[in-house]
Amino acid sequence: MLFPRVGRKQPMLRIAWWAVVAFLCLGIALHLFPFYFMLVSSFKSGEEVLAFPPTFWPQDPSFAGWKLVFQIVQGSAGQLLDAPLWLFFWNSVQITFWVLVIGIPITSMAAYANSKLQRGPMARWSFLFFIGTLMMPAALTLIPNFLLTRNFPFALPNAPNIPGTDTAFPTFPIWDTHWAVIFPICFQAFNFLLFKGFFDTIPDSVIQAARVDGGSEFNIFRRIVLPMSVPVYAVTIWTAFSLAWDQFLWPLVVLQTPERMPMSVELYLLMERIVQSGGTSAEAAAAEAEVMQDMLGGGLSWNGLMVLAILQSLPVFIAFIVCREYLLRGIRLRGLK
Amino acid sequence: MARIDIDHVVKHYVDDRIVQTNTGRPALDDVSLQVADGETISIVGSSGCGKSTLLKVVAGIEDPDQGRVRYDGVDVTGVRPQERGVGMVFQDYALYPSMKGKGNLAYYFDVHDSSKEEAEQRVRETAERMGVGFDLLLGQVPTTLSGGEQQRVAIARCIVRDPPLFLMDEPICNLDAKLREQTRVEIRKLLRKFKITTLYVTHDQQEAIFMGDRIVVMRDGRIEQVGTFDDLYYTPASRFVATFIGSPPISVLPAAVTDGRLQLAGASWDLPSPVRAAVPDGPVDLAIRPEGWRLDEADGLAVSVRHIERLPTERAAFAYGTVAGRNVTVILPVDHPERDQLTATPDLDRAYFFEPDGERPLHTPGVLELF
Repeated sequence: MLFPRVGRKQPMLRIAWWAVVAFLCLGIALHLFPFYFMLVSSFKSGEEVLAFPPTFWPQDPSFAGWKLVFQIVQGSAGQLLDAPLWLFFWNSVQITFWVLVIGIPITSMAAYANSKLQRGPMARWSFLFFIGTLMMPAALTLIPNFLLTRNFPFALPNAPNIPGTDTAFPTFPIWDTHWAVIFPICFQAFNFLLFKGFFDTIPDSVIQAARVDGGSEFNIFRRIVLPMSVPVYAVTIWTAFSLAWDQFLWPLVVLQTPERMPMSVELYLLMERIVQSGGTSAEAAAAEAEVMQDMLGGGLSWNGLMVLAILQSLPVFIAFIVCREYLLRGIRLRGLK
Repeated sequence: MARIDIDHVVKHYVDDRIVQTNTGRPALDDVSLQVADGETISIVGSSGCGKSTLLKVVAGIEDPDQGRVRYDGVDVTGVRPQERGVGMVFQDYALYPSMKGKGNLAYYFDVHDSSKEEAEQRVRETAERMGVGFDLLLGQVPTTLSGGEQQRVAIARCIVRDPPLFLMDEPICNLDAKLREQTRVEIRKLLRKFKITTLYVTHDQQEAIFMGDRIVVMRDGRIEQVGTFDDLYYTPASRFVATFIGSPPISVLPAAVTDGRLQLAGASWDLPSPVRAAVPDGPVDLAIRPEGWRLDEADGLAVSVRHIERLPTERAAFAYGTVAGRNVTVILPVDHPERDQLTATPDLDRAYFFEPDGERPLHTPGVLELF
């Protein structure tokens, strides 16, 4: 409740209340407008999308974009994509699945251990260490991470030799596999923060009572802490889901084989081909023009891309709607975001 | 059934901070206590005196920095709480919020590989033992229960598995007066019947007297005195115990002794011979219990009365007033007329003498021989 119900008859309060409502409505409109434009653009024709000033309602609605996308999904749209779209979708699903399955238990258990099992200065140090990873700009870790995937577990261009010999340490090159995309975002410091914040609110005495009752630490976590924490799990699963689903730069860096790309990257590559105009040489320009010809000939334009963008953002929406109840409870619980 | 031996336990709490600034006093400072098999010990003290910490050390939830804890002579200092098998009631109930009342009681059996039937039966027995209306609490989640109801479930969770040792941390402080009385009697009966060794922490003297075979008075992480109520009341080991035990509290008046006569607020009396031997000449602090005054004698002190509280069940009234600027409480007959002034004489045979501004008692009256 923003304002108490009691004094709402007061004129000043009433004005303030309506002002807040108007402000929130504006915020909602600003948030929803891109989605509206995306949806509307997908029904426009190729020329109308690029028309200026933009139209807010398709003058000549066409389903060309949607039809084309169905072909792309089935892989029957010629040279537009390297493989049918459902393959990239499936890649995204796999990556997201493993990020959640590995990441959420690790993050939550780390937070629980930090909140309830560690004590004294050590607890504070490890907390600061984990939170410190939030302050590290992603650009800074890009190259070390890349080297790590080449020679796991060494963040070096080449694995060092075993001392006294000429043979290098054995390494696990996970580069160009899905694992290279999954592992770095398994532990998310922000989710750690959410979990830790929640676990801190559980009274120590509940844990102590369970210990006196004879529950092992894992049993206490599973039987007593977990059922209390459903809302915070919903929030963290959702943030982890959207992060894993929408991540772009990192898979672009570590994945090389076209068939292994997640959907977010593939859509970008497709868009890139449309946007690029002109080349550095006559042959390149000619080749570009040919590709362009192919795509436009196939009917792909911005309207088709909008359909693909809708497909891309759909799972995040669905995930939100499915756990909306818990999300809102969790957000209210912690006053997040 | 267990004999508990707490041996020179010291406990410091560690701060969460990175730079340790904790140079304060320890939560427990060289605490030693022997609890006999089947005995109930009440632990009283003001808040922050280390009562709860002592319980946690005995339960194994907190590890002592120094010293040992033994159950039946077996050193359990390093043993995890899971393996000690004690029953504990926490001050904030500490019920498992995600389980219903029944689940709270059955959790012990869940983690101990007991059969479902056994758990069911024990829960049912406990529900009967806990009295009327307890069945209704079993089907509810703790968040829907009132404070008192939660506390009853917490007590039931503690007794459901017949532990050898009970640790109770203010288990009934949140019940309403009537239910508290009832539960107190119920717990006492239970302890008597099963002869379970119990440490019972409370801040309520009456409760401590009622529950405990012996009472421990704690202050600033140390045990001030251990003994029966009469020991504590009539032969306090320190000024703190004398002022802490007894309600209304003892009145302390600065006085002086010259040539075997006590001088106080303009009046003077001869000291009785046992007192004269113990109390040297010079300044002394005289402490008198409410019942240690004689009324309406010629050489009495003038007490200006603030108000009078009548206690019909006790056939008495307490007069709260001042003598020479110090608060005193005097017990009166219940039909004593309401007046602003009283004349009261300290009964020096039943008076306590302390060194001025010190803790040490010079003379205490000794346990009253009633029978």
